[in-house]
Amino acid sequence: MKEVTLDCLGEACPVPLVKAQKALEDLAIGDVLIVSIDHSCAMKNVPEWAREAGHNVEIEEVDDGEWEVVIEKAK
Amino acid sequence: MSDTTENTPATGTTGGIRRSSSSRASKKPKKSTIPYGILLALVIGGIGVALGTVNFTLGFFWFTGMAFGFILQKTRFCFTASLRDPYLTGSTSLTKAVLTALAITSLGFWAIMYSAHAKGLPIPGQGFVVPFGVHTMVGAFIFGIGMVISGGCASGTLMRVGEGFLMQILSLTFFIVGSVLSAATFGWWQLNFINQSPKVFLPDVLGWFGAIVVQLLIIGFLWIAADKYGKAKGASDAH
Amino acid sequence: MLKKFSEAVAKNEYYKLWFKDAWPYITGAVLLSIFQIVTMAVSGNPWGVSTAFANWGAWILQALGVSVEKWYFFSSEGALAVLDRGLLQDPASMRNIGVIFGALFSVLIASGFKIKKIKTKKQVVAAILGGTLMGYGARIAFGCNIGAFFSGISVLSLSGWVFAIFIFLGAIVGSKLLVKYFM
Repeated sequence: MKEVTLDCLGEACPVPLVKAQKALEDLAIGDVLIVSIDHSCAMKNVPEWAREAGHNVEIEEVDDGEWEVVIEKAK
Repeated sequence: MSDTTENTPATGTTGGIRRSSSSRASKKPKKSTIPYGILLALVIGGIGVALGTVNFTLGFFWFTGMAFGFILQKTRFCFTASLRDPYLTGSTSLTKAVLTALAITSLGFWAIMYSAHAKGLPIPGQGFVVPFGVHTMVGAFIFGIGMVISGGCASGTLMRVGEGFLMQILSLTFFIVGSVLSAATFGWWQLNFINQSPKVFLPDVLGWFGAIVVQLLIIGFLWIAADKYGKAKGASDAH
Repeated sequence: MLKKFSEAVAKNEYYKLWFKDAWPYITGAVLLSIFQIVTMAVSGNPWGVSTAFANWGAWILQALGVSVEKWYFFSSEGALAVLDRGLLQDPASMRNIGVIFGALFSVLIASGFKIKKIKTKKQVVAAILGGTLMGYGARIAFGCNIGAFFSGISVLSLSGWVFAIFIFLGAIVGSKLLVKYFM
């Protein structure tokens, strides 16, 4: 089981989502991808995409205006 | 509808995804900025009231601007994403939301314009019925490129300035530069394209009722197309 | 006391629902529409954003001694009157500044404000290029996503639909450029 962190701090839409989509492609089922985000819109569209694609998703507020979206590849 | 949500556990009930402890250690204590929010509300509310007593229009625009900014931020509404995501990420949820807004606003505007027309008053909003032609195509096309690479259109850029994006302050600055360049060369566009271009107010062509019916049918059709496209894309992503 | 108050508020479930968490897109669609309709009913014109930016540029140039009022773009009576009144007497400019403060209020009350610094040179190039393209495009197309697209379509002008088709095509090209050069 691998855990990969993707630093998308300071990046605006759609960069975090596109990067997350690419990064998840390279992972195996059960691997975890952590996306660090400080853009409130990406905080909505990254989890939305991941859930729609059928992965397990958790959001953690790390600091003011800073989140970690934890995605466990399920498919 | 339930097909897509069935295999997706609701947030918080998954019992937690296992992650290594090291990545969790960096948690900082959070500050609350609620008091600053309240203070800001008092200050900008006060400015709005002051503006409104001097000149009603100024105060009204100030308050509606704040409402637009608050709504855009709170709902993460983004016109750029609505036009970009169908191609780039396959998501059409914002596209559908924008189409819904177009439908509601069209109906409201239609009611206002039609009642003015029925009373024999000048029809409001006619300054936004503009000639279209090569200038519209070129302008809209380069605007589309610009908003995607800079991460936000005009309203989105303003909203992101408020959110603290330094990059958007830079794009706003160059938005102004671009506007000035455009204003400086506007005569050329006017002479070569805009003068020869038609203005079309749909009720003039389709009648008042025909115009709103056709408009809502087109929006409805696009909404269904966006929904089907989004579902097809979402399904292919999952496999 | 202030700290205790903030802590109590932060735990309140309705605070979370109304001020902390994002609202659904559809709520945004309905609320934006309501304010569009109110704006139209009160001021006789729908919402527009980018026209004011050209005036901001004009005021800066005027301050530097350039007589922009001689330009064809600003030669109409209406445009000259706006330039004459200045920033603080221009409702459209006040609305744009209001948008910035409305968004700032939204993030402060949600305890989500953070200054996001520019990380890479690519972002600088993207912001300069993107901003300039938007500014140039918006003026020759008579508006941006709001004035030409949202408001243009809603006032039942065919120009809005033409704008929509080409901004959509532009967004596709922009996406390709973004993925290739700016990420």
